[in-house]
Amino acid sequence: MAIGVKVLKRPRAQTSYVRATLKGMALTLQHLFRPKVTMQYSEEKATDDWAISRRWRGTHRMLTDEQGRAKCVACGLCPQICPANCIKLVPGEDEQGNRYPLIYEIDEFRCVFCGYCQEVCPEEAIHVGVHYENAEYSRDRFVYDLERLCAQTHAVSTLWDPSDPKGE
Amino acid sequence: MGSDLVHLTIDGVPVEVPKGTLVIEAAKQAGVLVPHYCYHPGLPVAGVCRMCLVKVEKAPKLQIACATAVAEGMVVDTQHPEAKSARMGVLELLLINHPLDCPICDQAGECELQDFTFQEGRRGTRYSPEFPKRFNPVEDFGPDVLYVPNRCILCTRCVRFMEDVAQEPVLNVSERGDRAYIGVHPEARLDHPWAGNVVDLCPVGSLLSKDFLHKARAWELDKTASICTGCSQGCNVTIDTRENVVVRLRPRSNVEVNRYFMCDHGRVTYRWMNRGDRIEAPLVKRDGSALHATDWDEAFERAATLLRGASGRAVALVSPRASTEALFLARELFSGFDWVGAFQVVMGETAPLPGVPNLALRAERAPNATGAELLGYRRDYAAALQAAESAAVVLVLEEPDIAVRPRGALVYAGTVLPDAARHADLVLPIANVAEEDGTFVNCDGRVQRYFQAKPAPGMARPAWWVFSELLAGLGRGEHLAGASDAFRRLADAAAPFTGLSYASLGLTGKRANLEVGVGA
Repeated sequence: MAIGVKVLKRPRAQTSYVRATLKGMALTLQHLFRPKVTMQYSEEKATDDWAISRRWRGTHRMLTDEQGRAKCVACGLCPQICPANCIKLVPGEDEQGNRYPLIYEIDEFRCVFCGYCQEVCPEEAIHVGVHYENAEYSRDRFVYDLERLCAQTHAVSTLWDPSDPKGE
Repeated sequence: MGSDLVHLTIDGVPVEVPKGTLVIEAAKQAGVLVPHYCYHPGLPVAGVCRMCLVKVEKAPKLQIACATAVAEGMVVDTQHPEAKSARMGVLELLLINHPLDCPICDQAGECELQDFTFQEGRRGTRYSPEFPKRFNPVEDFGPDVLYVPNRCILCTRCVRFMEDVAQEPVLNVSERGDRAYIGVHPEARLDHPWAGNVVDLCPVGSLLSKDFLHKARAWELDKTASICTGCSQGCNVTIDTRENVVVRLRPRSNVEVNRYFMCDHGRVTYRWMNRGDRIEAPLVKRDGSALHATDWDEAFERAATLLRGASGRAVALVSPRASTEALFLARELFSGFDWVGAFQVVMGETAPLPGVPNLALRAERAPNATGAELLGYRRDYAAALQAAESAAVVLVLEEPDIAVRPRGALVYAGTVLPDAARHADLVLPIANVAEEDGTFVNCDGRVQRYFQAKPAPGMARPAWWVFSELLAGLGRGEHLAGASDAFRRLADAAAPFTGLSYASLGLTGKRANLEVGVGA
């Protein structure tokens, strides 16, 4: 028994694919003349109208004083505030008898990049950085010690400013 | 209602205190802490800081709560706007010269200047940041005390402690006005045996302990009530631990024993509590030669076999640092034996604190010598050592001086394994004072509790638990759930402790009945 199929009668203009194809190609061609939005990452990391936010919270950087020593005074606030418990700090003294971290390590794998450490730091020493390229050949390289944190050169985050919520 | 009681109202709360009480103390009864710096209950009143200004009805001016005695019908308002603004002014002036170095200050977190500024200080300073603060270099006052003059608020608590309590006036207030600082006698040092108390007394981070310097922040510390093991005085202390490491001991106030103080000898006794060379598993001697680590089941089985198979003379060589519960249960273990128990006490120099009656670093450097004596242990250690030679069983509890080769079995229960104990038949790892609950009896017969501050390493267990399990294994007594059960058993059996319990001892302890001897 044959199945009854209802065939709709439509105008030629609607059943032909030629017109639709041409329409599509016209759109594609239009794009050739529009401004390009794709960024050639790794060759190109920022453009005139786009850059990574100054509020970006990436891997850490320890700021240093004029002698190149970490500004950290080992007050213990960042390991206290850290929700991921990724900061290891052993306080001690430097040669001048000032309070100074004997060990300062941040486990960047454990870090949740909340930026609290930067916010809480009374010496403006530890900062989260505007930085996202962190590839390493081994996992233990992701535990940054004090020397490595001081050696970072990338920009530091401005964090979110409540008086300027949109960063303008 | 006696006539020597005075009725007054503090912040709307009616209180009733003895005549002559200071308003600041009466306010504590009303649940009000009046901010103060120079006042300390253990020191004479100075009235120099002006921080405790309160409004007293009908008084012409604000009064300092620390130097005003209560009067009948007095109405005190500590939160009166006038009083609050005066205290805010005092704080503002104190902060003119106080450096904002809280991040590197050891006192941060337990600093009264921080607390009261947070509570009722100004939000910011009105002094220009260019205004130079007073600066004086850090001074070395004594063996364990550093003085940071910049942080000093000149409350003179330290000066009054050295003058009136230690009665060795080596500190004074030098210079005048805004140049004033705490000076030390040019030819003396702050080396009184009780000098460490000035660090606790200092409301800010001006006097620092060298031992504790940069070690930990106040908010990282866990605090546990305990008893000092330094001597037989039994000062009440607080054990401060950081990640299960004891970092310092501080005095805990007990008006009957140590008031608010503890000596420097006691302060450093925390070091052995962190020893790393601890026994972490029971050790049994196999095939008559070397000790092998095992579990508690085998250790108890071995101990039961040793005790069941022996008869005649039993000797217990115990440490006067062991808890009363452990000493009692160790004795119970040998009921039926011809038992001799003895301990020896390390002796040192006495160092009294003249300002407090009946408070001294005692010559007997053992916290529980009285407890051991009350339980029938004798001081004749040499005789017991000799008796041990021929004894059937010798139990050693945390006593390193055991140059003895007994004929019978030797059971050693201790925290560490001295060489002399290596030929023991059985070694039982026990917890130290920071790792168990227990009681000590001080030289005046005061039974005082101490609490567990950190976990014991490995399989080490409190000595009372070890002995009670052994007793249970021998069919003599039940398994105990906690140290309070062990103490109950002690109180039931030993006459000096009758009627005492952990609940009634509380945090400050109670006297044992020294008149009666120990029950058979």
